[in-house]
Amino acid sequence: MNFLRQSLAIAGKDLRSELRSKETVNASLSFALVILLLFSFAFDPGSEQVHEIAGGLLWLVFAFAGTLILNRSFARELVNDCLDALISSPASGAQLFFGKCLANYVLLVVVESACLPVFVIFYNSHWPRQWLLLFLVMLLGTWGITVIGTLFSAMTVNLRLRELMLPTLIYPMLIPALMGAIRLSTLILAGEPIGADDQIWFRLLVAFDIIFTILTLALVEIVLVG
Amino acid sequence: MDQNFTFMVYGFTAAWLIVILYVISLALRESRLRQELDRVKRMLEEREK
Amino acid sequence: MRLKIILTLSVVCGLILAWNLHTMFMKVPDEANQGAIFRIFYFHFPAAITSFAGFYLGMFAGVGYLITKNLKLDSIAASINEVSLAFATIALVTGSIWGRVIWGIWWTWDARITSYFVCWLLYVGYLMMRRAIDDPTTRARLCAVLSIFAAIDIVIVWKSIEWWRTQHPGPVLEIRGGGGMAAGMEAPLWWNFLAMLLLFTVLILIRMRQESMRREIDSLRRYAHAF
Repeated sequence: MNFLRQSLAIAGKDLRSELRSKETVNASLSFALVILLLFSFAFDPGSEQVHEIAGGLLWLVFAFAGTLILNRSFARELVNDCLDALISSPASGAQLFFGKCLANYVLLVVVESACLPVFVIFYNSHWPRQWLLLFLVMLLGTWGITVIGTLFSAMTVNLRLRELMLPTLIYPMLIPALMGAIRLSTLILAGEPIGADDQIWFRLLVAFDIIFTILTLALVEIVLVG
Repeated sequence: MDQNFTFMVYGFTAAWLIVILYVISLALRESRLRQELDRVKRMLEEREK
Repeated sequence: MRLKIILTLSVVCGLILAWNLHTMFMKVPDEANQGAIFRIFYFHFPAAITSFAGFYLGMFAGVGYLITKNLKLDSIAASINEVSLAFATIALVTGSIWGRVIWGIWWTWDARITSYFVCWLLYVGYLMMRRAIDDPTTRARLCAVLSIFAAIDIVIVWKSIEWWRTQHPGPVLEIRGGGGMAAGMEAPLWWNFLAMLLLFTVLILIRMRQESMRREIDSLRRYAHAF
């Protein structure tokens, strides 16, 4: 219980400061829009082919927009040595990390929820009938991105090439989660039912989230404190 | 069949080229480290005098 | 002492390799379906397996560092991972050339190749990370964590990409229940495997010597700054 309370305090702090400045969400959202625009030149946006790659496009946008948020997550604490203060505060490394994770998760889901309707409008998809299922896939996939991304954001925060290192490290690592999410989203956006064969991707997503949540919580103390 | 053999030669060359390039990079790094070690040692000796 | 071991091992390795090349070209006939190109397999397969085993050894060395905080283990991990990456590059390149002849394409996004490529990328990231951090203990700590992540992730990547359909030839060797190679063809493979392992060890030993030199430089520097 105490664990959650401390984490929520950290998450609350992050979200409040984001709510006041809105700088990360704005940047991430406009970046996502730019990518959505660029995609329209990569292929014929009106063709049927779009339905086959819709999930992939959507998750690429999410992944790109996500790294912007994740990069800022720990970097914003560098000013005035806030990070050192946070680490030496009574909250443990895991609590600090989990709080940051929750805040990033909320931000990411907000950005994604804003992108999704735009995507549907731009690429003439139908609003999927199983939109609740799509939302579930979004939540699961995003948690995978957030957990790994936040840990690596903590790892790379003091590096010279922070902005470059984070994406190069996390994208290969996220491939299983992205693959599952892409496959499911493509099916849902095309309005097809999810068959027994594709149930496996749900299991993959859940397993990925659980494994890496446990792993990051176990290792975060080493990363932050040493 | 001829082309087959050519590609095999390419393959072997490529494999050994990678090893050789890696060994060269190792040797270069080694000499650089040695220089650096000498420099630091000399610096320390001078300081102790 | 260390130098002597390195020298002996490399001489033995060179001898086995020369002998292997002799058997490969003089004794072993061309394979029925694939012709001469199948000889690439003698390098492709050992390099791939060795690099994989190396990545896991590297992870264990990293875990060992996290437990003991002994920087020597970190330098072992770094050496193993770097040499493994070189071997992985060999496997990728030879595999690609082999694919060009047999499948007619340089690259295909089949399950094993893709996951191997992901693995390669992960360890390129590892080496980049090592370069980017200056402080030895921070570097050791973060890189150990990164290699744990990479090693666990690669299993999941492997499995999940396998569900995405495959084109790579299945297990060829007897031990994994494949059709097997002819006896005369299989023996050189294991000899070459041995040679590659020796090469692997030699390179790692050389690399470790460099790491210990770097540690010495670091400690001398610190000593110098202490005045």
